[in-house]
Amino acid sequence: MDLAKKVLQGDEKSAARLISIMEDGGDEGYRLIPLLFPHTGKANIIGITGTPGAGKSTLIGKLAVIFANNGKKVGIIAVDPTSMKNHGALLGDRLRMKDAENTEGIFIRSMASRGYPGGIAKATAGTVYVLEALGKDIIMVETVGSGQTDTQIYSLCNTIITVLTPDYGDEVQLMKAGLLEIGDIVAINKSENTNAEDISTDVKAYINQRETKGRQIPVLTIQAKEGSGIEKLVDAINEHFVYLSKNIHGKELKKEKLKTLMLALLREELWGKALKTWTDNECFDGIVKKLQKGEIDPYTAVRAALEIKSL
Amino acid sequence: MDEKIIKVLIAKPGLDGHDRGAKVISHALKEAGMEVIYSGLHKTIDQIVHIALQEDVDIIGLSIMTGAHISIVGKLMKKMQEEDIIDKTVFVGGVIPAKDISKLKDLGVAGVFPGGTPLFETIELIKTHMKRT
Amino acid sequence: MAVARYIKDDKDRILDVILESGIHVKPSYTPEDLNRIGFDYEKDVADPGQYPYTRGIHPLGYRSREWTTRQYTGFGSPEETNQRFKLMISHGQTGLNVAFDLPTQMGYDSDDPMSEGEVGRVGMAVDTLRDFEIAFKDIKLDKIGAGLTINAVASIMLAMYQAVGEKYGYDPKVISATPQNDILKEMVGRGAWIFPVEPAVRLIGDTIEYAMTVMPRTNPVSVCGYHIRESGATPAQEIAYAILIANVYIDNVLARGYDIDAFVGRFSFNLNVFGNMWEQIAKFRAARKLWARNLKEKYNVKNPQNLFLRGLFGGGGYGLTKAQPENNIMRGAYYALVAALSGAQTTALCSYDEAYTIPTPHSALLSLRTLQLLMDEMGLRDTVDPLAGSYFIETLTKEMEQKIEEETEKIVKYGGMIKAVSKGYIQRLVARQAYEVEKGLESGELLKVGVNIYKEGESEEVKLHEYNYESAERQIEDLKQVKRQRSQQDVLRTLKELESVIKEGKNVMPCLVECCKAYVTVGEMTSIFRQEFGEFQEPALF
Repeated sequence: MDLAKKVLQGDEKSAARLISIMEDGGDEGYRLIPLLFPHTGKANIIGITGTPGAGKSTLIGKLAVIFANNGKKVGIIAVDPTSMKNHGALLGDRLRMKDAENTEGIFIRSMASRGYPGGIAKATAGTVYVLEALGKDIIMVETVGSGQTDTQIYSLCNTIITVLTPDYGDEVQLMKAGLLEIGDIVAINKSENTNAEDISTDVKAYINQRETKGRQIPVLTIQAKEGSGIEKLVDAINEHFVYLSKNIHGKELKKEKLKTLMLALLREELWGKALKTWTDNECFDGIVKKLQKGEIDPYTAVRAALEIKSL
Repeated sequence: MDEKIIKVLIAKPGLDGHDRGAKVISHALKEAGMEVIYSGLHKTIDQIVHIALQEDVDIIGLSIMTGAHISIVGKLMKKMQEEDIIDKTVFVGGVIPAKDISKLKDLGVAGVFPGGTPLFETIELIKTHMKRT
Repeated sequence: MAVARYIKDDKDRILDVILESGIHVKPSYTPEDLNRIGFDYEKDVADPGQYPYTRGIHPLGYRSREWTTRQYTGFGSPEETNQRFKLMISHGQTGLNVAFDLPTQMGYDSDDPMSEGEVGRVGMAVDTLRDFEIAFKDIKLDKIGAGLTINAVASIMLAMYQAVGEKYGYDPKVISATPQNDILKEMVGRGAWIFPVEPAVRLIGDTIEYAMTVMPRTNPVSVCGYHIRESGATPAQEIAYAILIANVYIDNVLARGYDIDAFVGRFSFNLNVFGNMWEQIAKFRAARKLWARNLKEKYNVKNPQNLFLRGLFGGGGYGLTKAQPENNIMRGAYYALVAALSGAQTTALCSYDEAYTIPTPHSALLSLRTLQLLMDEMGLRDTVDPLAGSYFIETLTKEMEQKIEEETEKIVKYGGMIKAVSKGYIQRLVARQAYEVEKGLESGELLKVGVNIYKEGESEEVKLHEYNYESAERQIEDLKQVKRQRSQQDVLRTLKELESVIKEGKNVMPCLVECCKAYVTVGEMTSIFRQEFGEFQEPALF
């Protein structure tokens, strides 16, 4: 209770602690969300996705500084993958946001995915609420960056920016990656000596085939490291924000996204419960043994597991 | 994952740029199942405390090679007190002569890992310490 | 630290030896091995002083000239540093190697809040020309060369060296400085960078261009594979990266319209000695050959003398241990032997207490004596490249050459050295390798005496150099006094000039010399650069 109150008063330390409690899986963290919830709903939640090494963190750092200079309070959630092997993680995104780190009013939080699918962590959505309650006007979420599978970001954010680099390759690869399907804005992060124009033509051609409900998806060329083209991107973000709030389709989309978000969280919750039930369950262990001995196939094993009563 | 995941900030305070040790320990802690944030080079104490606060890390690990560890740690502790994050555990690694270890502990450092400390010892000590708290 | 991986059977017999660069060593070598590698004496090795200089750059080696001994020296105030310089010279040291404190290396004055606790700690503090005047007082600058171990602000320090020379009546043409001046390796490994890659490389180009005409005896760049190796690179990577980095600096000067033969002869290298001794010897022999070939074939260098890889081969700090520190004295002796067998022009050793702090006079002299022993007592001056013709060494040299080329190719494929450093590709690679070495030491796969074998008999703690807080305070007082006494008008004028010179893209060196002469501080000059250039964005390593 106290923690929620302090967050609403703008206390960074309490916000940081509350995020940790959620991350560590304690229900008490999520139980505080209803106290914060009435104070949310106004911030612009921006998701930044794209291939690894595309320059997402650098871009977020630059965007954050511009927003801050325009008087906005900015929150950043940077998600990095948790190692499947040892459950550890190196959270390196922050290091690429040096200017933002030293700017007043910007709150950066690194977060490991901890096995949650879809390019974010289980606590990411909760963290968005916490940061908004903390008084942030703009919240940027950086996905893990595994391309195609970074899909959950879509249901969490108003605006998705897909960041690509020209050396990413040809049209076929773009389509395969599925990255462009969710982008509301495409930013091509041009490194030195590369053909940004070619790729931008490819991207535009691909986007034109996509149904966008009358809205032209902006394809912008930027240089994140040098900071050029970022102002235009800010304009595009603001335009999309206005578009969503005024357009009937935008409102429908929001409803749809909320449902998707809930279903995703529900799936995780059910899965967690199921796992708990199965752990140390003799029947379950028996099924696994049969599977491993080659007596049954994986599909049959699944059917058998679902039969276990206590589930 | 029932066991609490330990979150660590590995920080390089001051002007020294020798980061081999900081990077090695970052990798080692990650492989030991911890979540590691590396501060990058040339950080002031204020910046380090700022990161520790926002990230709500359990541990601040300082890597100091220049010999200025006593004054750096003194400043860190003072700033942590000001920001009321003194509950976080501080470890120090780097070029630390034996005679300074007790001085650092008096300042509030939970453990000192002079260069050459085996990685597993560092990991074990951190894990045991976190279990106790 | 590690020297090689040994695969053994259960009776402790060695089945295989894998050197750091990835080469397998055989139990013995015969003429068959030379046939296998297609050994050709004239092409692969040639006589000393003959292209490709595998055996050395001078026909007579140390007979014509002993190596220069250049222990890394400097701490506290300029007065203390001056005394230590004189002590080392009086004991027969033949070159100086100036250590600067971190604030100076990072372009901060002693009174800057960023400098707190670091003034004079790991080297001498330099704020203004006054400090150089004291540090180099009564040193014969036309007789003894000075290495200036500084990179991000090497241009300032070179200007200051000229200014102090002129102050003491030396023509810039007769003084010889060797600023380290290798910013790319700082970005890879040692971390004392300030400005982004492009302007930082420009400053190096400026110093080379300037030295060509004004300070022709100066070696404006000392490319440091040394620190890259300390960060975790293999010996093959050390050489590959050093040559690629040197090429970046060459390209910068060539783009200014100069002929390569006009400047490349003054390039020098600072390379590392720790590790498996055979691998090091082969590395240095291969390095000389590859550098000469690089210059001849890629850059069309005409004057044979400009093809020489001249280097300081120094006993690497990473080889030293904190455990049983006296063992470091023996390690140093072996490193020195390797450097001598490899034909180093200049040498230096990390002193046995340098795993803890900067050396005491006692340990610094021990290092110097270790070096002198080899030349004057053990016969290392007798003949050039005594290991030439060894089936093993010649085979290994050839194999190292191939490994170095492989590592070079990887960087070229990635998109070149500048990209590899800016994006952190190399940093990531060497950090991973450093971690693997630590794990190898822990598992016992790699052996280190006193660390994971023969740990018994820990020595008592050695007597260490103590940091002097008072001298730091005095330095700050002295700086204040200089600031009071100097002409404020000259300071403002020269700084303004510096700003416009930077903006116009002109060579900054003449203006920096003027700044130094006006007692402008290192911090004041650097802040103009910071304002115009911005700062390097450290790549996130993981």
